[in-house]
Amino acid sequence: MILIGERINGMFTDVKQAIADKNKKVIQDLAQRQTQAGATYLDVNVGTAAADQEGTIQWLVETLLNSAPLNKKTDEEILYKYMEMAEKAGPKANLIALAMDKNGVPQDTDTRVAIAAEILQKALERGFETQRLFIDPIVLPVKVPNAQTQPAIILAAMDQIRLLADPPPHMTVGLSNLSQGAAERSLINRVFLAMAMSHGLDSAIADVFDENLMNAVATCDMLMNRQIYSDSFLKVYATANKK
Amino acid sequence: MALTGLDIFKLLPKTNCKKCGMPTCLAFAMQLAQKKAKLDKCPDVSEEAKQLLAAAAAPPMRLVKFGSGDNQVQAGQETALFRHEDKFYNPTVLAATISDKLTGTELHNRIEAINALKFERIGTKIGAKAIAVINESGLADAFAAAAAAVKNQSKLAIILVSDSPQAIAAAVSKTAGAMPLIASAKMDTAEAIAKIAKENNCPVVAKANSIEAISQLSEKIKAQGVEDIVLTLDGMNLRDQMFNLSRMRVLSLKKVFRPMGYPVISFVKGTSCDQQAAIATSLICKYSNIVVVDTVEPGAWLAMLTAVMNIYSDPQKPVQVEPKIYPVGEPNENSPLLFTTNFSLTYYTVESDVEASRVPSYILVVDTEGTSVLTAYSGDKLNEKIVAEAMKKFNTENLVKHRKLIIPGYVAVMSGKLEEATGWEIMVGPRESSMLPKYLQEVWK
Amino acid sequence: MPVPEVADSFSGSVTKITLGAAKAGGGTRTSTITVGGSRNVVYGGAPDNAGERPVIAMDVLDICPDDWPDALVEPYKDVLGNPVAWAKKCVNEFGADLICIKFDGIHPDKGDKDAEQAVKVTQDVLKAVGVPLVLWGSGNADKDNQVMPKVSQAAKGENCLVGTVTQDNYKALTAIALADGHCLITHAPLDINIAKQINILVSDMGFPLEKIVTFQATGALGYGMEYAYSIQERQRLAALGGDKMMAMPVICDVGYEAWRAKEAKLVDAPAGWGTVQDRGPMWEATTAICLLQAGANIIRMRHPTAVAAVKNFIQQIWQ
Repeated sequence: MILIGERINGMFTDVKQAIADKNKKVIQDLAQRQTQAGATYLDVNVGTAAADQEGTIQWLVETLLNSAPLNKKTDEEILYKYMEMAEKAGPKANLIALAMDKNGVPQDTDTRVAIAAEILQKALERGFETQRLFIDPIVLPVKVPNAQTQPAIILAAMDQIRLLADPPPHMTVGLSNLSQGAAERSLINRVFLAMAMSHGLDSAIADVFDENLMNAVATCDMLMNRQIYSDSFLKVYATANKK
Repeated sequence: MALTGLDIFKLLPKTNCKKCGMPTCLAFAMQLAQKKAKLDKCPDVSEEAKQLLAAAAAPPMRLVKFGSGDNQVQAGQETALFRHEDKFYNPTVLAATISDKLTGTELHNRIEAINALKFERIGTKIGAKAIAVINESGLADAFAAAAAAVKNQSKLAIILVSDSPQAIAAAVSKTAGAMPLIASAKMDTAEAIAKIAKENNCPVVAKANSIEAISQLSEKIKAQGVEDIVLTLDGMNLRDQMFNLSRMRVLSLKKVFRPMGYPVISFVKGTSCDQQAAIATSLICKYSNIVVVDTVEPGAWLAMLTAVMNIYSDPQKPVQVEPKIYPVGEPNENSPLLFTTNFSLTYYTVESDVEASRVPSYILVVDTEGTSVLTAYSGDKLNEKIVAEAMKKFNTENLVKHRKLIIPGYVAVMSGKLEEATGWEIMVGPRESSMLPKYLQEVWK
Repeated sequence: MPVPEVADSFSGSVTKITLGAAKAGGGTRTSTITVGGSRNVVYGGAPDNAGERPVIAMDVLDICPDDWPDALVEPYKDVLGNPVAWAKKCVNEFGADLICIKFDGIHPDKGDKDAEQAVKVTQDVLKAVGVPLVLWGSGNADKDNQVMPKVSQAAKGENCLVGTVTQDNYKALTAIALADGHCLITHAPLDINIAKQINILVSDMGFPLEKIVTFQATGALGYGMEYAYSIQERQRLAALGGDKMMAMPVICDVGYEAWRAKEAKLVDAPAGWGTVQDRGPMWEATTAICLLQAGANIIRMRHPTAVAAVKNFIQQIWQ
């Protein structure tokens, strides 16, 4: 499971404050702790913290100079531009692509798959390896009116997206968005993560400080036969992921 | 490997006409990729697309048969690199060579020696499956004569080994109906050999000294209308051969590279019987579907054939040992009698622990369809009736004077009923086999 | 049609481990042995990813074996019961890479020898041969816990491979092996989950992962060999996938297991089985060759003919 730490996001008050104060320590500390907790990548997101998006993201990235190459979100029109950026960032740079278009976030399975197919086809044409793409079928807060049908629809879309190309693209979700504003956030997050992993999800932007979530990830990996079982499987998983 | 959704989508008309019942061609392609729909639902698909899709459905490694009747053999159609991922399907065909320089009694004796390479293990008959006639003389007549002698004197499948199209033609004419495997076509003889293979409906071996050359050659032979092809690497040391065979297996199974999508035959070099057996064993494990050796030493064959049996056993199915009474050490009528199930791993563990106890004993192996003690008990494949029947069948009454049976500790619960069913005293053994030495030494005495 | 690239990029590799300590390393060995280091599956990728050449540890027993078949006794008939001469013969005549002293004699049922005798055998063999040693207990937990720590101490600084430790009995020997600077054999009963667990347990005691060799138990050809084979293949794939708890080199006990097989030792075998003199070594060699295909690193063997055949094979692959 490839985990992307979600915490360096201007939506969180501590990060918002750090951005305002230009306090590098807070950002660097969050980066270090998330990496230690098992994050392979860090999501770096200005959010609503500053009006100057470009300047702020630059400051954040400079603050995190030694971190892994950045992932860039994209949409259809600027896909090529982002692939180019990812290519320039080096052979290990990957790209997260959202399964949405000018019409916004699709509400059904077929449209999500169609958008994913288009992204993959363009990547293949360009010679951008499909394993460098992380397709995000986009989860919406389950509490939003009429959004409760979405989790099942997303799982169905994931079943198809993994059959689109060989090797299949990675699939990721912004997990915490699912439980935005809901009760029992941690429980909702980890149950959906387990469900989604059984449908091929192999990455998530998530709260890596949530121990229950991390234990659920370890258990899923073991149940899916990606880790050899041992009585100490939780502990080994945690140790193995600490850098 | 199945086609991806995008691969299929490219072959569809992309009209989104909805005649298939799906809203878009992509949605239909995804249904096909998930095998939830059939291509004939699309009325507008091109012939070319149909052929491509059908070709993609063919297995990544072709199944090739040779020989005739009950002794026909088949090789190929493997699906896995590692046996634990699935299983290996068609056990390695082991063949022994006969030189066409042999004549008369020598030839006769050699064929008989190969015919005699037959053994039985765990109730299964194993043995040499083919004879490779080698055109060592370089003469077409001698080759044809040796091939004819083999056909007359043996039922085993035949492999005709010569680089000369003339010799092959002569030998094929003498082995008509036996469907020999023709070995081998090289780049310069591909057309001539493929022609003979096609006319006589025989499979043919493509021989070259690199993967690149073999893939060109197999394409060339296929273009001549021969589909049943076997590949062989020529002129390589063992190390390069083993690494290339692995690469060929990956190319056929993981890359579905059609020019490599055939079984492989390997001819073992090596001067001594020991060396031949070692190399053959390596080739059995790592990716030769047919292995040809010179040695006819029975001890070497028993070992090689057992290796084939082990490697080609189904890892998903428990291996069974034959249900019967096994003496450990030199037991007598006063020795303890234990029973266990016929799951091989269970039996081997118990046997090894009984042996470690140094108390000579009899182990009664009860047929539980290859399941372990607990699994068998919960699946009712192990109950007092089954044990009592096994005791009767294998005549335990005459085997020992005492009337005591040691049962696995895990099925202590059946001791009452078993005592009723047999009239024997039931002694509950330890739950873990590793405690058997202590038990036999302390409790039995 | 161009041949596609086959590129496996594994993130992990099999741990490389060196056995034996020469003068510079604080020991008295005249040679050391390094095994492991594979960065691919067996025969996968390029030959230089295959890692170090597998090696053969020849068994020397601390007592005279009383249950060996004649065909196995024959090459050793002048040295059985004399571990020093036996070890020398294995090294000088049969080309053993390592000597494995198997302490059968300390087992309560097989002689019940005391620690003093085991220590003496260890010291004498250390003096007699320059190759690294494997020091292998009797399998009786209580007795091994009494004797093996003393054996370990007697070989302190020689960087031997000592074992075996199991899930149920690992603390005493792990602690002393750590203190004496030895490598350790972790032992699981053909069970990959327990194999992983025992590695975790000893590493929790502070034993370095890069000094562990795993023993998964061995089945002889025809007697469960395929279980060991598949466990080894799964272990290699896990190691290549980055599982540190599965990345250790593998040791197999082929000599003992193969010579237990009916096919190896039966004198009045069915007609057409070949002579018993040839069958035993063939059974041992074939078991070893099979397990090499699944990634074995160290193979314990007994008969010199089998050893020669396996060495010849290894030489051809690891040129």
